[in-house]
Amino acid sequence: MKHYRLILGACLTAVLTFPAAAEEAPQEIRHELMESVGDAAEPLGGMLKGEREFDAEVAMESLRTFQQAAAEFGDLFPEGSDTGYDTEARSTIWSDRAGFETALASFGEAVDTAIAAQPQSLDELKPVAGAVFKQCKGCHEDYRIEDD
Amino acid sequence: MPAKRLAAFTAVAVGLGAAWWLTSTPVLAPEDIPDHQPDAAAGERLFHAGGCRSCHGERLEGGLELSTEYGIFRVPNITPDPVSGIGGWTTLEFVNAMSRGVSPEGQHYYPAFPYASYARMTVTDLLDLKAWLDEFPPVPGPAVRHELRFPWNIRRAVGFWNRLYLDPAPVVGIDPSAPNASQLERGRYLVEAVGHCGECHTPRGFLGGPDSGRWLAGAPNPEGEGRVPNITPHDDGIGAWSEKDLAWYFESGFTPDYDTVGGAMVEVQENLAELGAEDRAAIATYLKSIPALPDAPADG
Repeated sequence: MKHYRLILGACLTAVLTFPAAAEEAPQEIRHELMESVGDAAEPLGGMLKGEREFDAEVAMESLRTFQQAAAEFGDLFPEGSDTGYDTEARSTIWSDRAGFETALASFGEAVDTAIAAQPQSLDELKPVAGAVFKQCKGCHEDYRIEDD
Repeated sequence: MPAKRLAAFTAVAVGLGAAWWLTSTPVLAPEDIPDHQPDAAAGERLFHAGGCRSCHGERLEGGLELSTEYGIFRVPNITPDPVSGIGGWTTLEFVNAMSRGVSPEGQHYYPAFPYASYARMTVTDLLDLKAWLDEFPPVPGPAVRHELRFPWNIRRAVGFWNRLYLDPAPVVGIDPSAPNASQLERGRYLVEAVGHCGECHTPRGFLGGPDSGRWLAGAPNPEGEGRVPNITPHDDGIGAWSEKDLAWYFESGFTPDYDTVGGAMVEVQENLAELGAEDRAAIATYLKSIPALPDAPADG
């Protein structure tokens, strides 16, 4: 009896987890990507806030994470992925696709500019990183639902 | 009986007099206006700290509608237009409108206009603010009227609200011997007076008056779903935020977990970004110093 239950349980677990393991939904992939962007923003923000020593290496690493994300985000909002998985994507992404693409491109450009500047001090980092953060904020306001 | 009639007459007269007194609002007199050379640049900083344009519009032409449980409030034109706006107002009229909620015609404004917060502003700051507003181009426009439900449509009764809630005294006490007392006072002034943060972040009780025992502890969203957050230093509020987190949030719009500001706070934050760094730091210091309160139990 005990064995039977265990096997049944194992089968159920396998069946239930299989689809998720095989293919992650775009809502989940972009959520994880956004989390990685947030994690990368932390050291940069810490430097701008004055809570963390300026470190050129760390700053560049964060900016490269942004660059990678900027390149990947565009493909992660296919038709039909506007709901489900508690997504915070707003319908404007699909109703105003051109605007969304432009906002995403502006983010990418701000990141590229910051990387090209190779900031060597906090004073050099501030303007270029500030421009990147501004892009994050602007895009969130237009293309993300409010979570309250 | 003449004596009885006289007594009845006296009772009615006293009652009417009391009602009149209860619903009237004391205003400032000409001698309360100090001799001050207005500084428009200082007024501009106050203008941003107060977020005037968030309600009155980029050109101050008004027109925004606030749908509340009392009805619809419509935001007036405050450009120097003499007909539609506030052009031609005397300094005293402006000060009484801002800090006592009384119009040049002696009528009460509704507390949807946060004069109960501005009552804590200094008169010289109000004069500076007027100097800045006077520099805007006049914009003519239609007259706007509120559409309020009974009994909220009785303007006279707002005087009673003022008797209960209009108090220029500060909400939070500050120990004058504290090493950072002057910074705390600056922060208190920006939060309690000019910035009128309590208008949204403090819950309202009887007749829509602020519940000062729950100062800045969060409130239902007056315009619909969701809640205005608790911003006291409790774990339910900004307990986990450092002063630098707060100051940077006001400057950049980023929370400590690198989410960005949302909803009605976007415009408030963008106004705060226009202030000097020392003012943002003062607001942060004040917020971290006020009594820590949990969310209301019903909030879950």
